[in-house]
Amino acid sequence: MEALLDIHRLSVEFNTARGRVHALRDVSISVPKGKVVGIVGESGSGKSTLVWAVMRLLAGNSIVADGKITFRGEDVLSFDESALREFRGESVSMVFQDPMTSQIPVLDYRRQMTDILYRRKGLSRQEKIRMAARFMNRVGIPDADDRLRHFPHQFSGGMRQRAGIAMALLMDPALLIADEPTTALDVTMEAQIIHLIREAQTDFGATVMVISHNLGLIAELCDKVVVMYAGEVVEQGDVKDIFFNAHHPYTQALLECDPSHDLKQERHFPTIPGDVPDLHGTPKGCVFAQRCRHASDICQYKRPGEYPIAGGHASDAHAARCHRYDPGGVWKELPKSETPKASTRIDVHVERDAPPLLEIKDLRVRFPVMGRVRALASGISDPHVDAVAGVSLAIRTGETLGLVGESGSGKTTLARAVLGLNRVHSGSIRFRKEELVGLPENTYKKMRRDIAMMFQDPVGSLSPRQTVGQLLSEPLIIHGERDLPLRDAAEKLCDMVSLPRNFLSRYPHELSGGQARRVGVARALALSPALVIADEPTAGLDVSVQGEVLNLMIELQALHGLSYLIISHNLPVIRQVSDILAIMYLGRIVEYGACSQVFEKPAHPYSEALVRGTPRPDPSRRRKLVSIEGEVPSLTNRPGGCEFHPRCPYATDRCRKEQPSPTRLVDGRTVLCHFPLAG
Amino acid sequence: MLIYIVKRIGLAVLIILLAVLALFVMLHSIPGDPVSIALGPRATPEIQAAYAAKMNLDKPLFTQFLIFLGNVLTGDLGTDVFSNRSVAKTLLGQLPYTISLAVASLGWAVALGIPMGCISATKPNGWLDRITGLVSIGTIAVPSFLVSIWAILVFAIHLNIFPVIGAGDQGDLADMALHLVLPSFAVGLGWVGYLARMVRASMLEVMGENYIRSARAFGLTTQTIIYRYALRVAILPTITLIGVGFGGLLSGTVFAEIIFARPGIGKVIYDMVLNRNFPVVQGAVMMTVALYAVVTLASDIIVSILDPRVRESL
Repeated sequence: MEALLDIHRLSVEFNTARGRVHALRDVSISVPKGKVVGIVGESGSGKSTLVWAVMRLLAGNSIVADGKITFRGEDVLSFDESALREFRGESVSMVFQDPMTSQIPVLDYRRQMTDILYRRKGLSRQEKIRMAARFMNRVGIPDADDRLRHFPHQFSGGMRQRAGIAMALLMDPALLIADEPTTALDVTMEAQIIHLIREAQTDFGATVMVISHNLGLIAELCDKVVVMYAGEVVEQGDVKDIFFNAHHPYTQALLECDPSHDLKQERHFPTIPGDVPDLHGTPKGCVFAQRCRHASDICQYKRPGEYPIAGGHASDAHAARCHRYDPGGVWKELPKSETPKASTRIDVHVERDAPPLLEIKDLRVRFPVMGRVRALASGISDPHVDAVAGVSLAIRTGETLGLVGESGSGKTTLARAVLGLNRVHSGSIRFRKEELVGLPENTYKKMRRDIAMMFQDPVGSLSPRQTVGQLLSEPLIIHGERDLPLRDAAEKLCDMVSLPRNFLSRYPHELSGGQARRVGVARALALSPALVIADEPTAGLDVSVQGEVLNLMIELQALHGLSYLIISHNLPVIRQVSDILAIMYLGRIVEYGACSQVFEKPAHPYSEALVRGTPRPDPSRRRKLVSIEGEVPSLTNRPGGCEFHPRCPYATDRCRKEQPSPTRLVDGRTVLCHFPLAG
Repeated sequence: MLIYIVKRIGLAVLIILLAVLALFVMLHSIPGDPVSIALGPRATPEIQAAYAAKMNLDKPLFTQFLIFLGNVLTGDLGTDVFSNRSVAKTLLGQLPYTISLAVASLGWAVALGIPMGCISATKPNGWLDRITGLVSIGTIAVPSFLVSIWAILVFAIHLNIFPVIGAGDQGDLADMALHLVLPSFAVGLGWVGYLARMVRASMLEVMGENYIRSARAFGLTTQTIIYRYALRVAILPTITLIGVGFGGLLSGTVFAEIIFARPGIGKVIYDMVLNRNFPVVQGAVMMTVALYAVVTLASDIIVSILDPRVRESL
């Protein structure tokens, strides 16, 4: 098959203060015309470097040490300035990871899009604007003429990404590169964007290259998949070969780690032990040898070649860079030192009959949206929005409650209210039967010993000027445990979260994401709390590390009888760890009940959309259509009747007029819907 | 947008009112009786009482403040103690000279500083960057009075290109402009370096942003990327800086007006402080405050036009 883009034995190096980093080594990928090629890898795999190398937009300290990039038979690396300009935008275009930061904030979309059309010299300004509007319409942005005058910050995240796709398609590129196109988006938006990219590919006949760490997205979208690890391609082939017949140990491990591949509730996550190798200096043997469960002697010193795997699908040759598949090789499987097959399910003792540890009743948190004067002037009697609108839930000792919702659903506000960080408007929060609402700050402080928080951003929530040791002893000092031997306490905490003790003298920027997360866990547990509130505990972590953190949290729960309130938009993770699930939409809980039941048979149409909306790492079960349309409405503009009705595929007249009240199903779930889908 | 501008104007008015209040408080906390200071030790009690009544000094303090405020707002800044002329009239006659000098100085600073900043930011640590860096630090470090004297020596005495005394013939715009060149250069030069450094720093920051990389990936020309995208964002903090720095520029005009023997507010303040002609000094301070408030207001409005996010934040 004709290759539109051919990358041949590409090596890229970076000069850094600590020496030369070999970011890409000997990477060969061919992108066939009219196909969707996915590049998968965790952070540090070099997948972004690859994209920027193709675009010739690598940072200034980089060197293309070796290799060739050919596009339609032309040598990209030898392009001069004007050829490059034609290549970028005209032949190749990009959809970026974070539309908020990749669109200039001070220019409106009309200006940004007509600027991209600058080379269409034959078009008048009016024609360019009309063309921009047509593309905005095409990607599902209504009232495009009006919307073109908007600035990026006036769009929601999903709309921004739609506009980003419109911009990328504007010049009708032969190759569209999408760099983590849905990472910054919510589940329902993600499904819509995947659908849009697939549509663009068929309608415009473009060739697409998708870079992602999200295996579900890759499975949904791609024809061919390239798996990268530590700057090398370890395996590539047809999407079905990769997902159903993975040969490289890394690909196998990666697929196993993806929590969405497993639908059973195991309470134990597979992980890949070890770290990505340091790329200062060239690794001698196989890059994955240190973490490979099959590694043999030869893997340590000899770099494996790319060996073809027989019986692959389609014409895309399936190949893996692993000694095991060397036809003339002398591979010998080592006698396995039986790795303890992790003792599967850890059972946590939940006191079913005891009163709940935390009980929230009809909680309401409101925020003012404008000043009183302005509200009076504009005739608005109640200038507030309800970020949390009458939420009730209960967590028992040893239980895990998963709180799920898209951004803006009020889940973080709810957590902050429990900690007394947001003013509660009405309702009650009882912790060990004691009312927390209205508690004065000095009494609240004592309560906070028993309710700990794990913050969303693992590195950002640690002070950059304190060592890990100081960070770990800080909670003890704040709560007046000065007399304790702090050093000992910090060491104990380190052991608890399996961080080496010598990390105590390190600073947060010297930690990897997973290590910083461990420090966050240790800080939360420093005062032996009864309840831990974890806000997106695995956001920003690679799947192989995510498992480690979750396993740790589950182990500690069993050991100390902790209760967790876990906030996340990552459904596969929530599914594995929670006992109870609460799904929030616009500040209300729309479905509440046993986690397994909700996932098996979601009763609320929104839960259904979330559960079905998560892309599965299964290329044989691609969804034809997006589950739900539209976006989460603004809190200032709640729809009448059932608040979900504008997006609900089952909405009737009754839903449009009458607000549903919580209904209890036979299996004990509570649903906020007139026509529950189950029970 | 309109709401934003109205709010900002309200804020500016408030600032001027507070300045009036501060000035009033300061004047009344000067030790000694204003009447005896004004009339001298030989005035009779009758004359003193008459003067106090005329100046409203016999009324309660709050009433005095309201009268003072009313006068200021209606443009009555009192009368010159020596010449008995209206202070407002004297100052208004001088104002155009000072404003034109300040604007021309700013012109130098912007015309030299911003391109210098852009040039050094396009190739950071290149030889051009190093040269502009040195020049910038030089212009910041050299005191303006030295620049004035050198400028006079080189351009006026040796080369005899520019006139150096006075503000030129009234009505002859070309002559007046010619008279502006050297003084405004002397005042503005110090600002060239500041602006260049400021623009360089924010340009470098902006050039590292994701949207600049996207613009490159869309194949826009380097010209568009630097001057229409990066500068558009990088200029915002610079405009605010200029607004705030305008006060410094105004005080810079004082010495330029003295050295180049130009008329202007600065010159008036200087002369009248020496003569202890307080009503005039007072009026001049008021006028400067008002000018400062207006310039800050203008810079804020410009920023809000250029940056849509600012419009919605207030």
